[in-house]
Amino acid sequence: MTLSIWRYSHLTLAIASFVFVFLATITGIVLAFQPISEQMQPFKIESVNQLDVDQTITTFKNKYPEIINIEVDANQFVSASVITADGTSLNGYFNPKTAAFLGEKPEISTFFKFTTNLHRSLFLKGIGRFFVGLGSFLLFLIAITGSILIIKRQSGIKRFFAKVVNENFSQYWHVVLGRLSLIPIIIITLTGVYLSLLKFDLISEKKQKHTVDFQTTAFAEKQPDTNIFNTTRLTEVVNLEFPFSEDEEDYYILKLKDKEVLVHQYSGQVLSQVDYPMVTFLSNLSLTWHTGKGSIVWSIVLLIACLNILFFIYSGFKMTIERRKNKALPKNKFTKDKAEVIILVGSETGQSYTLATAFYKGVIASGKTVYISDLNSYTTYKNAKQLVVFTSTYGEGEAPINAKNFITLLKSAPQEQTINYAVVGFGSLKYKAYCKYAQMVDASLQLHPNFTPNLQLQKIHNQSQSIFKDWLQQWNTVVGTNVSLVLDNPAIKTKKQQTFKVINKTLLNVDNTFVLQLKPTKKINFKSGDLLAVYPKQDGIERLYSIGKMDNQIVISVKKHEFGVCSTYFNTLQKEDVVNAIIKPNPTFNLPNKTKRAVLIANGTGIGPFLGMINTNPQTEKHLFWGGRTKQSLSLYQKYIDSGLQHNTLSSFNVAFSQEQEEKIYVQDIVAKNAAIITQVLGDDGIIMICGSLAMQNNVLKVLNHITTTKLQLPISFYIDNQVIKTDCY
Amino acid sequence: MKNIKLIFSIAILSIALFSFTTINTSTKYKCMVQMTNYVGEGAYVVISLINPDGQYEKTLYVQGDDEEWYNDITEWWKFQGKVRADIDALTGATISGGERAISVIQIEDSKIDAGYSIRFETAVEDQEYYTKDVQFLLTSESVKSKTEGSGFIRYVRLMPN
Repeated sequence: MTLSIWRYSHLTLAIASFVFVFLATITGIVLAFQPISEQMQPFKIESVNQLDVDQTITTFKNKYPEIINIEVDANQFVSASVITADGTSLNGYFNPKTAAFLGEKPEISTFFKFTTNLHRSLFLKGIGRFFVGLGSFLLFLIAITGSILIIKRQSGIKRFFAKVVNENFSQYWHVVLGRLSLIPIIIITLTGVYLSLLKFDLISEKKQKHTVDFQTTAFAEKQPDTNIFNTTRLTEVVNLEFPFSEDEEDYYILKLKDKEVLVHQYSGQVLSQVDYPMVTFLSNLSLTWHTGKGSIVWSIVLLIACLNILFFIYSGFKMTIERRKNKALPKNKFTKDKAEVIILVGSETGQSYTLATAFYKGVIASGKTVYISDLNSYTTYKNAKQLVVFTSTYGEGEAPINAKNFITLLKSAPQEQTINYAVVGFGSLKYKAYCKYAQMVDASLQLHPNFTPNLQLQKIHNQSQSIFKDWLQQWNTVVGTNVSLVLDNPAIKTKKQQTFKVINKTLLNVDNTFVLQLKPTKKINFKSGDLLAVYPKQDGIERLYSIGKMDNQIVISVKKHEFGVCSTYFNTLQKEDVVNAIIKPNPTFNLPNKTKRAVLIANGTGIGPFLGMINTNPQTEKHLFWGGRTKQSLSLYQKYIDSGLQHNTLSSFNVAFSQEQEEKIYVQDIVAKNAAIITQVLGDDGIIMICGSLAMQNNVLKVLNHITTTKLQLPISFYIDNQVIKTDCY
Repeated sequence: MKNIKLIFSIAILSIALFSFTTINTSTKYKCMVQMTNYVGEGAYVVISLINPDGQYEKTLYVQGDDEEWYNDITEWWKFQGKVRADIDALTGATISGGERAISVIQIEDSKIDAGYSIRFETAVEDQEYYTKDVQFLLTSESVKSKTEGSGFIRYVRLMPN
């Protein structure tokens, strides 16, 4: 498994800081509730911000003979320490308008104290603080490397917030939530690091000293109305310390957010003023931002960011473990100059290694000499007759990490003999640049004088084994070998599987197609468009079927293939038989509840999920387009369509038969004819769902593109990007 | 008759005086601690009443409310750690270099001019610990005075309220 430097750093940092980050996050979640609970206390006084300091001092002095200090905290609660006329001292919250005592400061609960301690020092005092600070810094680096990975993945900083392709739950949400919580996490970590540095005196606060010359102020006149107490609002105050005694040389100390002022107790004259250094400002800012004190909204943002970090730990490690399974390439038995078949692999995450390894083992089993390596180690191969390239694509059509140098190397390492080659591209149709790098490799080899193709470029969606097997069949024919895949069968998750009872199975129709109705034996939540994963006993390889849901039953439309393991198995089923399978949610192909209008387009067995949709969701106006071979093909689905039309859950049904008349009519032709429906649905925030063969999908998208560009002045890609067009094709 | 009146009034006066002294046996003092301009964490300052034998009698005030660090104030902790008197109402925040803090402490009048002392001991995280940063005998004079410190404290001022 090769990793780019950023991915490697991201992972290494995560592993290194995992324990500290985890503890700090858990305690952080708890501590986020502290400022929230503080704000909930009833000590906030309406319109405090209209009071100035002078008014407050007067109010307090009228009520209490002795005042030590008055403080205003981040929540704008006013607290004071006073001694009453009868000699008792009062400490707690006061109403600044009336100087009335409101209540004692509630003790910070031992639970919060305990958590705070754990959060900042793990009960290890200085050493603990160091590790937590370091953990915070590492988390900051993780955030930065993560952002770089997103930028690379999205191919450019401008596309940072562009849509992310949802291939895999962990990966998708890791990226999406990562972008959303990036700023809060950077703030949390940087302020955390800053606070740690303060603790270790790496940043020191050097305050200037006050200098007071009492000679000049001794006989100062009282300055009514213009003194600092009249011009300062109470809300600007952090702490006001009253003069220690009535001595002329004792003064008020007024601490504001940005400065400290000594004020003459009789004249109100400013004796000395010291502005706080930048460090103090930053320290206060860090503390406020790190703890969220004084703001419920920011506390909630911090809380959400912490919950996200927990999710990142979970999803990050989950992805890593998944990728580890893809291991490395197998060890070579033959040297590069001895082998007849050369396999070169390009992969970013190691996913393509599985099939490449299965192929490698198959070639060995067939008795050929073979050499496997990654694309970056391309060199001369003296004995090679066949070159097979398996490669994925990274980002917007770039080479994966272990293939970056291949195209340059191809020019510099000359082969002595002519080599036949075949390229297989792995990718996902969800990406615009589907298998783009494989195309580039294929083209580069074609241009090279020493290479001749023996097969066209084969693109494979989502590591589909059945398509790979088809390709292998062709390759065997051309090369004259008999290679079969040697796959390490993944253990079948029988425990997770659920049981379904067969309610009905129709007979095969003219197209070798049938409809299967299953009922889950336990209550399961699912929707039309979800997938039924079946693991036939013969090979244990997962087969996915798009399902329709009707009266809590599953409807699948299946075409029986002569050698199809699963379709043959399904065809042997009879009423009351029991099937083991898993329902996989497929939210990208569910009909959203709030949709007002929808166009459903399918050919052949692709109608399966739609059979459910047209009989449910009455709030959505639905138009079904279906293409089949003959009228007889339709009879299989007729009762579902009639029922939908009858109950008004289906608004219109348009059908195309390719074999009924001389001129072949396909589903895209009737879509083109009904452009008005398409424009109406798209214009009204509706959606279009397409299910069936890939060829049909491409033809339909072409027709739709024509309609949208001419009628709505927007290319179809706009709607695809906005997930207005949902597809589930194979 | 005159005598009876006199005795009566003396009796009332003495009862009044007696009851006055029993109720008002302690006085509140304002106490200001001014720190030197040292660099580092906020200092823990413990103010204690010391009996004529030089032993801790009572904790009067603690600047610093994080119990995690209390055992660093070694001498005092030998006393407080054992007794574990409730000092929650007698705590305030730590005081940093150059800062000052005013607190209100309460001392029984019977301890004044009776050989009792007041002690200010200070400790700063990862720095020195001064058992007797400031210590002086409690006399009717000294409770109105200013005393220089020998460690983190520049001076202490005391004033009866």
